[in-house]
Amino acid sequence: MRRTGLLLSSALVAVIGLCGTAAAQERAVIIKGFGAKSGVVRSFGINSEAAMRAAADAINSQGGVKLGDGTIGKIDVEFLDDRCTAEEGISVVRRIAAGPALVAIGPGCSNVAEPLFGVLQRKAGDASDSGLQFPIFTDVAIKGGLAKISEWAFRNVPSEIDMYNALFTWLKTKNPELKTIFAGVEENFAHSRASWYAVMKEAAPKVGLEVKGEAKWLLEDTNFAQQVREIKAASPDILAIAAHPFTTCGVLKEMRRQGVKVKLLVGLTSSSSMETLQGCAREAEGIVIPTSFAPVTKEAEAAAAQAAKFNGSLDLHSAAAYENIFILKKVIEEQGVLAKPDTVQADREKIRKGLAALKETDGLLGKSKRTEDREAVKPYMYVHAKDGKWAVLFNPLTN
Amino acid sequence: MDFYYSLAQIIGFHALLGLSAYVVLLTGQVSLAQAGFFAIGAYVAAMFTVLAGWHLVPAMLAAGLAAAAMACIVGFPALRVRGLMLVIATLAFGEAVRLFFFNFDYQVAKGEVKVGPLGGEGFRQIRWFPEHGWTGLDVMLFVWTVVALVAGALWWLDRSRFGAVLRAVGEDELAAQSVGLNLTAVKVTAMTIGGFIAGLGGAIYAHYTTHIEHSNFGVLLATFAIAYPILGGLRNVLGTIVAVIFVQGFLVEGLRFLGDWRNLLFGALIVLAMNLRPNGLIDAATARRLARLFGREARRA
Repeated sequence: MRRTGLLLSSALVAVIGLCGTAAAQERAVIIKGFGAKSGVVRSFGINSEAAMRAAADAINSQGGVKLGDGTIGKIDVEFLDDRCTAEEGISVVRRIAAGPALVAIGPGCSNVAEPLFGVLQRKAGDASDSGLQFPIFTDVAIKGGLAKISEWAFRNVPSEIDMYNALFTWLKTKNPELKTIFAGVEENFAHSRASWYAVMKEAAPKVGLEVKGEAKWLLEDTNFAQQVREIKAASPDILAIAAHPFTTCGVLKEMRRQGVKVKLLVGLTSSSSMETLQGCAREAEGIVIPTSFAPVTKEAEAAAAQAAKFNGSLDLHSAAAYENIFILKKVIEEQGVLAKPDTVQADREKIRKGLAALKETDGLLGKSKRTEDREAVKPYMYVHAKDGKWAVLFNPLTN
Repeated sequence: MDFYYSLAQIIGFHALLGLSAYVVLLTGQVSLAQAGFFAIGAYVAAMFTVLAGWHLVPAMLAAGLAAAAMACIVGFPALRVRGLMLVIATLAFGEAVRLFFFNFDYQVAKGEVKVGPLGGEGFRQIRWFPEHGWTGLDVMLFVWTVVALVAGALWWLDRSRFGAVLRAVGEDELAAQSVGLNLTAVKVTAMTIGGFIAGLGGAIYAHYTTHIEHSNFGVLLATFAIAYPILGGLRNVLGTIVAVIFVQGFLVEGLRFLGDWRNLLFGALIVLAMNLRPNGLIDAATARRLARLFGREARRA
């Protein structure tokens, strides 16, 4: 009896020991996400979090990340809300940087990204600059040219300049009868504003479209009667709506109420999401938007299904969050990151170097190029709203 | 530790914003213009450090003076009205300032890039602190030195004859006027002092965030400014500072781990605090207890 007990105890100790050894060989690779999970643009944060968790789950279930000393790391994702405000965004990143996280993915809002990148050290290794030394790999904030603010800032967002230049050229080729363009602009949102004034308004005249002006509103507005009257008075062939889903739908519904019609609607990249179709599928019918994501490849379909399991949907923003986790896995493995408590700052530096060294990355639609100023040149296509769904209108990759 | 230094900085410039509203509230006036003065301070200081290459301290003083001058100018017409009319008048001023900066472009070439305010795009690269090698601890000590100086000055003011005048106007305008006090002069002075303090706060804010834009200075900020002294109590300056710590330290940062629930709890906890402490977090009884405690400690020392 005593012998059996001894044997059982020994076996138990051995099992516990083995489990302990296995646990010791697995290390947590902590990646934090942050963005707006409250307010008008809360869908950005919700979808990004779901995409990050889905990607981490896919990697972990396939064996995890191989660390520099041969041990296996499991990606651990946590997402924090910055309420789309600069003050909170900076605070969130300082909180993240004070902990064991190796890198952060975010933010969702360009008005957070701009100050946040300013808080980071401008030139890596510059001892005279006491800015924060922590790598940020942005998925959503899309306003042009922000990563050049700091060498610790990286972005995997599409270039709107390229996308709208190509879109207008293509539209003009397909529809030479389109002569004039008028815009509706969400004036107080950095991305929407920049997308019209610095991107679309510059691109349209290049293909011979006459810019007839713009109607302005705010992100928080709920009444668009005056702006729609301005659109009616301008009577443009193309109406470009540089606004997020919430106000895009408000304007489209008001246009329907006032019986205002245009030949073609062009939307903001951020509006090529499910929120637009959930809010105003009927009114948005036919709107054309360039996007860097649609479930048109096997990988993209699988990723979208995976994100849905985590209660989110993939769009051009959250798809970047999904890709970022995979890009970071590659960088961590290539740079020999250790993910030990005493190597956190060294690991962050390795990740920064690894991200800076990338020339090309794998994405859900294909390869993306990396630029010298730490931005991405991503593949894109044009989608349009058709029967309450986003359908691919033209895919330059396959044509 | 850097995170806590950063949090202390946030509490610091919000404390200055709250103290700016505190002075005006002492005269019984509810001003929603403090966010406008805060914005003026932020833009003026940033323009001096980024465009003119000034040291931060003179830039802050210039920002405080510019905001004070604007407060004085606004004070005369605005303080001729009272109660809800004043709330609307000061709110309109705050919005006018915000919209001014929304349309304000003044960029100059610095090397290959242009810097300065660019309307709705904002004003980026206000990096005086990191460019001068200041660590988080340095910035925190600097911010709290300014807060201590301002709070100390207001504490002294509160106990001076002028402090009594401010409170007399706040308690009963008619009685104050009947003993010969010039109401307009008293109110405009309070408004000017408040403008100066808000300007200092704005200057620090701009250099904390490194990027400012019109939307940072909206109605929400104006509401916070007035909420701090009301929540903290007008007994003394400590109430405002305690309220800022409660809101920024506890409600905003402390509850971040609650995720989506934080936003729901935010308003509920403020209402609860106001119900439990209707005369402010530091009311007269608490102030007396604190005074007795510290007095006893001082005597013992």
